[in-house]
Amino acid sequence: MTAALAMDRVAPPPARWLAYRDHDPWILGAAVVLACLGVVMMTSASITLADKNYGDPFYFLWRQLTALGIGAALALWAMHVPLHFLQRMSSAFLLLGILALILVLIPGIGREVNGSLRWLQLGPLSLQASEVAKPCVVLYLAGYLVRHSDQVREKFIGFIKPIGVLTLIAGLLLLEPDYGAAAVLFATCLGMLFLAGVSLPRFISWGLVALSALAALALLAPYRLARLMAFVDPWSDPYDSGFQLTQSLIAFGRGELTGVGLGAGIQKLFYLPEVHTDFVFAVIGEELGLAGTLTVIALFLFLMWRILLLGGEALKAGAAFHAHAANGVALLLGLQAFINIGVNIGVLPTKGLTLPFISYGANSMVITCAMLGLVLRIAHEIRRPVHLPATGRPVSAPAIKIAEDPTP
Amino acid sequence: MAVALPALYRGRRYSVQLLFTAIAVLMSLRAVDLQLRDHEFLQNHGDARYLRVVEIPAHRGVISDRNGEPLAISTPVSSVWANPRRLALAEGQWRQLAQWLSIGVDNLKELVAARQGRDFVYLRRQVEPAQAAIIAAARLPGVYVDREYHRYYPAGEVTAHVVGFTNVDDSGQEGMELAYNGVLQGTPGSKQVIKDRLGRVVENVESLRAAVPGEDLTLTIDKRLQYIAYRELKAAVINHRAQAGSMVILDARSGEVLAMVNQPSYNPNNRTSLQGELYRNRAVTDVYEPGSTLKAFTIAAALDAGEVTPTTPIDTGNGVFEIGPYKVRDTHPFGRLDVTGVVVKSSNVGAAKIALSLEPETFWRMLSKVGFGAPTATGFPGEAAGRLPDYHHWREIEQATLAFGYGLSVTTLQLAQAYTAVANDGVWVPASLVRNGRPPDGDTVMSAATAEQVRAMLEGVVRSGTGRLARIPGYRVAGKTGTVHKVNTQGYEEDRYVALFAGMVPASRPRLVAAVIIDDPGDGEYFGGQIAAPVFSNVMREALRLLNIPPDDPPGRNEQPLYTYISTNSPEMFDDRGGQPER
Repeated sequence: MTAALAMDRVAPPPARWLAYRDHDPWILGAAVVLACLGVVMMTSASITLADKNYGDPFYFLWRQLTALGIGAALALWAMHVPLHFLQRMSSAFLLLGILALILVLIPGIGREVNGSLRWLQLGPLSLQASEVAKPCVVLYLAGYLVRHSDQVREKFIGFIKPIGVLTLIAGLLLLEPDYGAAAVLFATCLGMLFLAGVSLPRFISWGLVALSALAALALLAPYRLARLMAFVDPWSDPYDSGFQLTQSLIAFGRGELTGVGLGAGIQKLFYLPEVHTDFVFAVIGEELGLAGTLTVIALFLFLMWRILLLGGEALKAGAAFHAHAANGVALLLGLQAFINIGVNIGVLPTKGLTLPFISYGANSMVITCAMLGLVLRIAHEIRRPVHLPATGRPVSAPAIKIAEDPTP
Repeated sequence: MAVALPALYRGRRYSVQLLFTAIAVLMSLRAVDLQLRDHEFLQNHGDARYLRVVEIPAHRGVISDRNGEPLAISTPVSSVWANPRRLALAEGQWRQLAQWLSIGVDNLKELVAARQGRDFVYLRRQVEPAQAAIIAAARLPGVYVDREYHRYYPAGEVTAHVVGFTNVDDSGQEGMELAYNGVLQGTPGSKQVIKDRLGRVVENVESLRAAVPGEDLTLTIDKRLQYIAYRELKAAVINHRAQAGSMVILDARSGEVLAMVNQPSYNPNNRTSLQGELYRNRAVTDVYEPGSTLKAFTIAAALDAGEVTPTTPIDTGNGVFEIGPYKVRDTHPFGRLDVTGVVVKSSNVGAAKIALSLEPETFWRMLSKVGFGAPTATGFPGEAAGRLPDYHHWREIEQATLAFGYGLSVTTLQLAQAYTAVANDGVWVPASLVRNGRPPDGDTVMSAATAEQVRAMLEGVVRSGTGRLARIPGYRVAGKTGTVHKVNTQGYEEDRYVALFAGMVPASRPRLVAAVIIDDPGDGEYFGGQIAAPVFSNVMREALRLLNIPPDDPPGRNEQPLYTYISTNSPEMFDDRGGQPER
């Protein structure tokens, strides 16, 4: 950091295109590779479906590229929004998120697809309420964690208050219902609390409470449990409850080491339902083989690792909001990716979750890009401390007391 | 706090990073498991879902006539089928689809509704390839097009009864199509393919068994003769308002069937709304009493046994012959005749007397040896064997009536076949329909001298007896007419007849043998010599020319007038009726 500070004092403002050199190139690189791979594989997975349903084999490709364009524009914009502005607005983000989640439940505004109210119809735009809510909740919690940093670590009330808010959000998501988004968002926030230093016994006991609540929910509706647990042995009922998963597993089995070749997969020929959204990873496994699967797993792990490192860097620089926001984005992306991968390879129950950067879905793509833009902005701010006060603290934040908090 | 805050944060971050690294490693291991270790199990399950064995239809053999003219050929067509569940989703396009298929929208709705909940229904089969291409190009949901073969019969109704036809599944149903179905149809091949979940073949994996096309079948039929025979028979049946008719032409030396036609017939290329009755190949499935046409064999048996010579006198008296309580009658009193005269005048009394001079077994043996009472070797499906009663149980009157062709039943083919013995100098040859190069397996059933004598008598029938309308300019014709009362459930009908003619040409060295039967003529003329003999004459005249058979009766050799017009012939000249002997 001192090096960065020193550089800042010496160097003149860089040329305009060089202004981005501080945005973490590793993060950006990993994301770009994932997005490119995603566009190719999503197209391969969707080509037969698009041809049959829309008469245009590239129907999904054009829409995904449009979403990627909008997402890139939004990311570019996010890279110019100062974090202190977002921090100031963090409570408003919560309200925006809750508003979206409530609106979607109102018939006439929310649009029902496959028995779930997940879509907000705003003129020509279809918004997925859960996607809107994701960054909103992360930004809110980051703001909360900064405002109540001591309380969060030391008092039960500081811990339970955000949990209450989260329970409300999760409850709204369950009403849609969108179990996958609820699970990811709740886990992301727990992770953010954990990273913010919530005391371990309290964290664990709360975790146990949450788990028993989930267990009760499942036990009250055994059919739900049965459906949830179908993934454990999909071969016991391979043509009904296990159908989708067995098709997915077959795809991986066919892929072996190097895959059957790009475009040569068979599972996408209407065998594997939701192949271009939730199960695009299976197509990667079939067409690109183990090489493809391991590459994707590695890229997501790397991306997440780098963003968490950035969070650590931010903390060191005394930029707590930056740190929490980065942690939130890392957890959100990582959890969603690994849950999706886990579903595809049959180690997690089948739930509708997309693979960030790869699955088809304009909302998911745009929001993911925006969050990437946010992360790049964080990197930029903490590495060019012109955005931070001379003391080394961010202008916008009552900083976590790093210097003033010597070890007792 | 036990640890400094930066250390706490760092620790927490490390543990999260470690956790996710562990997750990533575990998932990678799981992926390795799936892709490198369980892949065989998974691929087997996959194969079970999308690997399918499909049939490759075998091309059905061509049926052709003896000169290679096609009589039945398979042409590629398409069948349109649908997945009812998927088609139900596109109700808006049903009208267009029904129009393309040339069926009513209601029919289409019924088809789809009846098979709702299944995955397959034929919408229409044997669609023209061009039309099927339009349907395939429209890519309607759940609608598919498959290749099939459609059987086409170039000669249509002319060869319909002999050739038969196949059903929509390309399997023989009638005629030679049925008799030789196993040879013609070949063996369908099979191949392993990958199908998508909608049932479409996306990839051919391997050919398991090549389709073996069916063998071609060459019939003994000569399409040209078949046409002529059909045309003349049809004209005669229409002109005489007859119910039915058959004609069979055989090669006298080989027994090969050169033509076999029937009325009524049908168009095998369009069989909608046809009754099964029309499908019958009457020449082999329907039996008649042969009447006077049988006299040739009565006389042959007696000549061969040495009981009579052609000039042996026979007293037919006043045309009534009493056998116990029964009376056998002639149409006119002929008085004293010789054996030739009995044949030429067609005297029932004379024939009965000659028959009664024979041992029953001798007579029976002759009739049996020329093929009566047993199915022919053609193996034609549904063939009737006819009936020849066993001589052990003959009463005198039965033996007498058999002499002029009552009390037994024969098919048109059997009648023609029997006449080959007379035509072929005593060597009877079995009729055959398939040309396979096998030399005819002849059987000597009478001496050459007997055959020659009978032939001379039959020539007399045509020259100056009841068969004169069978004459052909330039050729010597030998033949015998017959007219029998039709049988119904009550017995013989007084005024309904079957007219017959059996003969051969050229009589000096016969090459062709033919039998004509016209069932129940309705315009007042009913004698075999009146309506069956002209058919023989008209057909054979052209057949002889087509086959380049040299005339054996050049003009001037015979002082008999070549033409005798029907108008100058009183009907009595043709009267050769026999009948149930009166009590």
